[in-house]
Amino acid sequence: MIFDVLILGGGPGGLTAGIYAGRAQLKTGMIERLMPGGQVAGTELIENYPGFADGVAGPDLMMAMEKQARKFGLEIMTGTIESLDFKSAPKKVVASGKTYYAKAVIISTGTDPKLLNIPGEKEFKGRGVSYCATCDGPFFKDKDVVVVGGGSSGVQESLYLTRFVNKINLVEFMDHLNAERILQERAKKNQKYTFYLNHQMLSINGSQKVESVTVKNRATEEAFDIPAEGVFIWVGMNPNTEFLQNHIDINPWGYIVAGEDCQTSVPGVFAVGDVRDKEVRQITTAVSDGTVAAEHALKYVESQEN
Amino acid sequence: MLREEDKKQIQAQLKDMKDPVRFVFFTQQMAGTCQYCIETETLLKELVEISELLSLKILNYITDKDDVKSLSIDKIPATAVQADKDAGIRFYGIPTGYEFAAFLQMILALSQGNSGLDDILKERLHQIQNPVHIQTFVTPTCPYCTRSAFTSYQFAMENSNIRADVVEISEFPHLAQKYGVMGVPKVVINESHSFEGALPETMFLEHIEIALKKE
Ligand SMILES: Cc1cc2nc3c(=O)[nH]c(=O)nc-3n(C[C@H](O)[C@H](O)[C@H](O)COP(=O)(O)OP(=O)(O)OC[C@H]3O[C@@H](n4cnc5c(N)ncnc54)[C@H](O)[C@@H]3O)c2cc1C
Repeated sequence: MIFDVLILGGGPGGLTAGIYAGRAQLKTGMIERLMPGGQVAGTELIENYPGFADGVAGPDLMMAMEKQARKFGLEIMTGTIESLDFKSAPKKVVASGKTYYAKAVIISTGTDPKLLNIPGEKEFKGRGVSYCATCDGPFFKDKDVVVVGGGSSGVQESLYLTRFVNKINLVEFMDHLNAERILQERAKKNQKYTFYLNHQMLSINGSQKVESVTVKNRATEEAFDIPAEGVFIWVGMNPNTEFLQNHIDINPWGYIVAGEDCQTSVPGVFAVGDVRDKEVRQITTAVSDGTVAAEHALKYVESQEN
Repeated sequence: MLREEDKKQIQAQLKDMKDPVRFVFFTQQMAGTCQYCIETETLLKELVEISELLSLKILNYITDKDDVKSLSIDKIPATAVQADKDAGIRFYGIPTGYEFAAFLQMILALSQGNSGLDDILKERLHQIQNPVHIQTFVTPTCPYCTRSAFTSYQFAMENSNIRADVVEISEFPHLAQKYGVMGVPKVVINESHSFEGALPETMFLEHIEIALKKE
C-alpha cells in the first residue's frame, strides 16, 4: 500500500500533521513505536497549552489529539523505524520488519531522555532509577528520592512527585536552577525539597535496589552519599535520528536541519517538532510545525501527481 | 463510564473485527473486598454493547471454582479474553488509561486471528514447547507499558504454551512487594526471570528464551 503521507512518530507534532493531512483528504499513515502521545503522554499536567485555563493532563491532551486525527482518517501502525530509502519513488520506510511506501514523509520522532552515564544508572533502571514520574511516582510513596536536573522538566516533574514521596533531594550541576521562574518558586516554597546546587552526580549505589547516590560538591570537591530509594533523571534530551544518518542533513547534535517551512535536505521529506533544529521545544511549537509540514506535504504530493 | 463520543471512536476502531470475542469476567459480590470490580464490570458491559461480536460472561471468584481453576485465575478483578479458544490472555485490574488502548488492540487482533507479528518471529515462537507464564506489570498512566502488554498478548496468540497476564499493579500492592516492582513496565517470566522497560518484540522474545534456558 502506498500512502500519500507517512508520519514517523506520534507525539503532538506528528498527530497535528495527521489531523491536517487527513483533513486535506490525503491518504495518511503514522508509524509509532509505542502508543501515540510522545513525551506529553508522560507529563502529569500541562499548564501552558492554550485553551486550558486550569491546565490539562498530558495523557488526556494526547488522547484527544489522537482521536481527532483518527477522525480524519489517520491510520496508526505500531512499529519502530529501522531503515529507509528516500531516493526511491515512492519513498520507502522499514519498521519492525514491515515495509511501507509513501509519496511524502514527515519525521516527528522527537527526543528521548539523555542518560547520565554514571555507574549504577543502567543496573538500577526499573529498580529505583526512572525517567517517568507519572509511570513510576506511586512506587515511591513516603520514600526519599533524588531528582537530577534543575531545568523546567526536572522541577515540574518533581513537583508532581511531592504528592507521593517523603523528601526530594534535587541535584543540579550548575550553581542555579534553570527552570521557569514560576516552577522554581513553587519548589522553593515546598518543605519536601533539599537543594544540592553546584553538585555533580558520581554514582547510584545499592545491592538489589537503589539505596543511595554519591554526589560531589563542585566548589569544595567534597564527595558524600545521599540516602534515597528512587532516582528520577531529567538532564536533557537526545534526538531520535539514528536511522536517518546519511539520508538527510543532520546537525552536529543530531537534530534535523530544516527551516521554518520544515523542509529537509530531501524534497518531500519534512521534519517537525523537537527533532528539528530549532530554538524553542514545546508542544505549541511542535503543533505549529505539524501544521506547516502537512501543508507543504500536500503541495508536494499534488506536484508529483501533475 | 464511556461517553457517547468514546463509544463512537471504539466502534470505528473495532470495525474490522471478524470473529466473536468473549470476556470471561471474574468478580466477587461482597463489596469492599475488590476495589475496582464494579467499575471493571461496568466498563465491560458498556463495551459489549458497542459490537455484536463482543459478549460477556460474569463469574464469581469464590463460587465458580472450576472456572477459576481451569482458567488459572488467581486474583480479581480478572478478565479472560477469548476468541474461538482460550489463548491464555488475561487482564487483572481495570483496563483504563493507556491500557485501554492496548486492550482494544488485543481484542481486534484476537478477532482477526492474526497477531500481526512478522513471520520470522512467529517461527521462533512456534518452537517453544515448555510452558511460559508472562506477567506484565503496568499502570494506566504509563505510555510505555502498552507496548509490552500488547507484545505479551501477541506471543500468547502464537503459541498455546504461552500465557500472558497483564496486571494493573497499583491495584495489587502485595505483588509490587513480592516482585520488587519499582518501575513499569516490568515483565516477569515463569517466576525465574524478569526485565524492566518496553523492549522491541525480538528482545522480549530473547528474554523468554533466556528464561527457558535457565530452567
Ligand atoms: C518532563 C517533560 C515535561 C514537559 N513539559 C512541557 C510543558 O509543560 N509544556 C510544553 O509545551 N512542553 C513540555 N515538554 C516538551 C514537550 O513534551 C515536547 O516539546 C513535545 O512533546 C514535542 O513533540 P514531538 O511531537 O516533536 O515529539 P515527542 O513528543 O518526543 O514524540 C515523538 C514520538 O515519536 C516516537 N518515536 C521515536 N523514535 C521512533 C522510532 N524509531 N520509530 C517509531 N516511533 C518513534 C516516540 O515514541 C514518540 O511517541 C515537556 C517535556 C518533558 C520531557
